[in-house]
Amino acid sequence: MPAVQDTIDQVKEIDVDQYKYGFTTDIETDKAPKGLDESTVRFISDKKGEPEWMLEWRLQAFERWQAMAEPTWAKVNYPKIDFQDLYYYAAPKGAEGPKSLDEVDPELLRTYEKLGIPLKEQELLAGVRKQGEPSTLDGDMPEGDPGQRRVAVDAVFDSVSVVTTFKKELAKAGVIFCSMSEALREHPELVRKYLGTVVPQTDNYYAALNSAVFSDGSFVYIPEGVRCPMELSTYFRINEMNTGQFERTLIIADKGSYVSYLEGCTAPMRDENQLHAAVVELVALDDAEIKYSTVQNWYPGDKNGKGGVYNFVTKRGDCRGNSSKISWTQVETGSAITWKYPSCILRGDNSRGEFYSIAISNGYQQVDSGTKMIHLGKNTSSRIISKGIAAGFSDNTYRGLVSAHRKATNTRNFTVCDSLLIGNNCGAHTVPYIEAKNASSHFEHEATTSKISDDMLFYCRQRGLNEEEAIALVVNGFVRDVLQQLPMEFMAETQKLIGISLEGSVG
Amino acid sequence: MTTNVEIMKTKAEKAFAEHFASVSGSLPSDAVALDARQAAMSRFDELGLPHRRIESWKYTDLRNALTVDVPAVGDATAVSAADLDAALGPLAGLDTYRAVFVNGRLDEGLSTLPSMTGVEIGSSSGAPAMDDALAAESIVALNTAFVTGGLAIKIADGVAVDKPLMIVSARAGGSDLLVTTRHDVSVGTKASLTLIEAFASIGGTAGQSNALVTITIADGGRLDHTKVGATVAISDLATWRAHLGNEATYRAFQLIPGAPLARNQVFVTFDGEGSALDFATAAMGNGKDHIDSTIVVDHRAVGCTSRELFKGVLDDSARGVCQGKVIVQQIAQKTDGKQMAQALMLSEDCEFDSKPELEIYADDVVCGHGSTSAEVDPDLVFYCRSRGIPEAEAKVLLTESFVAETIDHVSSESLRDALSEIARNWLAANHTK
Repeated sequence: MPAVQDTIDQVKEIDVDQYKYGFTTDIETDKAPKGLDESTVRFISDKKGEPEWMLEWRLQAFERWQAMAEPTWAKVNYPKIDFQDLYYYAAPKGAEGPKSLDEVDPELLRTYEKLGIPLKEQELLAGVRKQGEPSTLDGDMPEGDPGQRRVAVDAVFDSVSVVTTFKKELAKAGVIFCSMSEALREHPELVRKYLGTVVPQTDNYYAALNSAVFSDGSFVYIPEGVRCPMELSTYFRINEMNTGQFERTLIIADKGSYVSYLEGCTAPMRDENQLHAAVVELVALDDAEIKYSTVQNWYPGDKNGKGGVYNFVTKRGDCRGNSSKISWTQVETGSAITWKYPSCILRGDNSRGEFYSIAISNGYQQVDSGTKMIHLGKNTSSRIISKGIAAGFSDNTYRGLVSAHRKATNTRNFTVCDSLLIGNNCGAHTVPYIEAKNASSHFEHEATTSKISDDMLFYCRQRGLNEEEAIALVVNGFVRDVLQQLPMEFMAETQKLIGISLEGSVG
Repeated sequence: MTTNVEIMKTKAEKAFAEHFASVSGSLPSDAVALDARQAAMSRFDELGLPHRRIESWKYTDLRNALTVDVPAVGDATAVSAADLDAALGPLAGLDTYRAVFVNGRLDEGLSTLPSMTGVEIGSSSGAPAMDDALAAESIVALNTAFVTGGLAIKIADGVAVDKPLMIVSARAGGSDLLVTTRHDVSVGTKASLTLIEAFASIGGTAGQSNALVTITIADGGRLDHTKVGATVAISDLATWRAHLGNEATYRAFQLIPGAPLARNQVFVTFDGEGSALDFATAAMGNGKDHIDSTIVVDHRAVGCTSRELFKGVLDDSARGVCQGKVIVQQIAQKTDGKQMAQALMLSEDCEFDSKPELEIYADDVVCGHGSTSAEVDPDLVFYCRSRGIPEAEAKVLLTESFVAETIDHVSSESLRDALSEIARNWLAANHTK
């Protein structure tokens, strides 16, 4: 059935032509010379003052990358990227000093203010300014005040992290939350132990490129038994022209710990395509839980499909310990091309992976996204809920893998992937791979809304809702449940997406 | 640094080329002329055997699986009617017309072809009509290169054939054979036909089989098409290519009662409006069986309905593969497409790979797919046991009913009974644990 007007209007509201983060900031930057060769890798490593082993690691990745071929299996089309025509490193000048907001270029702060991201929350900024005074630290942000949620932010501007807030308070809990370059200086042993253990250097073409030239990103370590006292968040901004952003995020949740991490991204409107090739690695040890949420809003290009960010991202979580849990939530609205499959390797027994996604494409956007749930441990379970909405001339593909290893007995998977088409020039595709290698794994893959929960639907209908309303209520209620765990700032952005009704969904 | 690696030809690929060079002169030129065979062989040479890097062959890597030498091309061999009936099992008792191919060549003595007006049955000849779907398949090229016989069936407009036509492909002689056939089926406007393809082996003759069936169903026509795979060790490669006109009906069913290597690929294109496809497969495997069922349905017209159902029963270290792809072109509004793949896993070592794909470009459609895999429901087993049925028997009963759901898609009652019996026999012989 066709989509109703309500839905159409809501999608139009987030149309590509109304991208509101498309401004640029005039700010002095340090750039590496254009192009990519071994010296670029050395330049970046040198600029960051990295230890020798890190440089070796990068060079190894670079060597392997040169021998690799660009992947072509995704359902996306784009002109060949000239990797020599990009800047691989751009840093706002003065960003390498001590990380206190006072020393940050005011132009930068204004940029973040304009973006309306967590940094803009003046209370938060005030909190940071007072960080040097331990006596007022607890006072400015009273704990237990439900009206104010506290979020620690790492802001990444082009290639470098410009500021990380709430560091000291986090340190009190033993949590390490800093930029990757800082982690390499302060905690090299942790970085060395975990970096590349989830996404190896040669995992894929873009992961190899990232391993060679990654410039910054966030590093999080939650020690044993600690529940991270606040949400952690990174905000990515590409500003410079012809610049690739290659950030690398590494989150380690030690035994019995918990962390919720959020990520947001925007870029200016430019006619050229910008490249974003990030790698995110999550490690959850015994009984640990990581919740990773993304609101991806890179510039999607104009209404004719000109410009926009190529978002080629490798995200993977490793439930390394028993009874660990990793949950991915993503709201994908931006990027000209998205190529992204946040995955879970369920290695530990009884571990759990979750993937919740709303992907909306409009204009000439192309989305090829999904997840991989790889069941290796016994009694592991996973759940995939994916909603794709395609409008305009866009293509929206769900591509996912669920596999159970021969020894992964008693595994469970439940998958629902729905897509909605608005207009007759777009495409919605589903490419699930389901591989069961033992008898006791129970896999269910559903792509029809009517089958989600007949009991619930029946209940709603009994209370006077028609079937369509009932379906929307049940499915939205479920998605909302997840999205409501995002902090307020992200909620504002995503709310209008959640309201979209799911009637007219096709498998 | 870029490295261009030239793909090495595998032993099987080389063997096909060498085998072709030695036998091409003796292959019947009335089926396909030598130059067309050579052209097909050079296309095979370009494409090579399909392997896991080719998306539609991801789970069935022929380059790895076909390691043996290519067996000799089958030749006419005398077979007694009694032996044939024994090999056909429950199918032998059906009241049908028969076209019997022994080792890929028509045996007129064993055949009873319909002689009613409007039914024209000759031999398939020339290279098959190629389109994008067939041109990409190297096993179709192999079929054209090695084909030894097949039927060209034409049902005139408005003719309903009174009895089903069973095409038997039997192999006999004892030693391994390469049997290659192609049938071209054309069902006229408002005509109807029930076609049964039965593969049988006499005296345990094994080898390789490559069968191609091209089908066109004109406006308002109907084809009921059933395939029963052979039970004796054969690598069974089969391709069906169907084009449907307006308001046409195509009901297809495949029963694969075990096969060391089976690939059944079906391509259906809706060219006309308001047509319907119902495709069901029952696959049963044990030992090291590998059974692949792949279907691509291309909706190119308004208001067509497609239903695909796959049910696999997998025991020991058998592997079941179900790939279903439904494409809905921009023009194909009001499409109703559903596919379901289900596997019953009876042992710890079996494997089920499922890839239900949707590619949709039209907005006013209802499409869905489902895929499940699990062991026999312990609750159901418990229920049976509480009613006094022993566990082993309960499992057989439940497995039988699981398979029976697909057989229900067959319209003819007598054929349904025969198919059920074949399925039951397989379960009784192979699944008694």
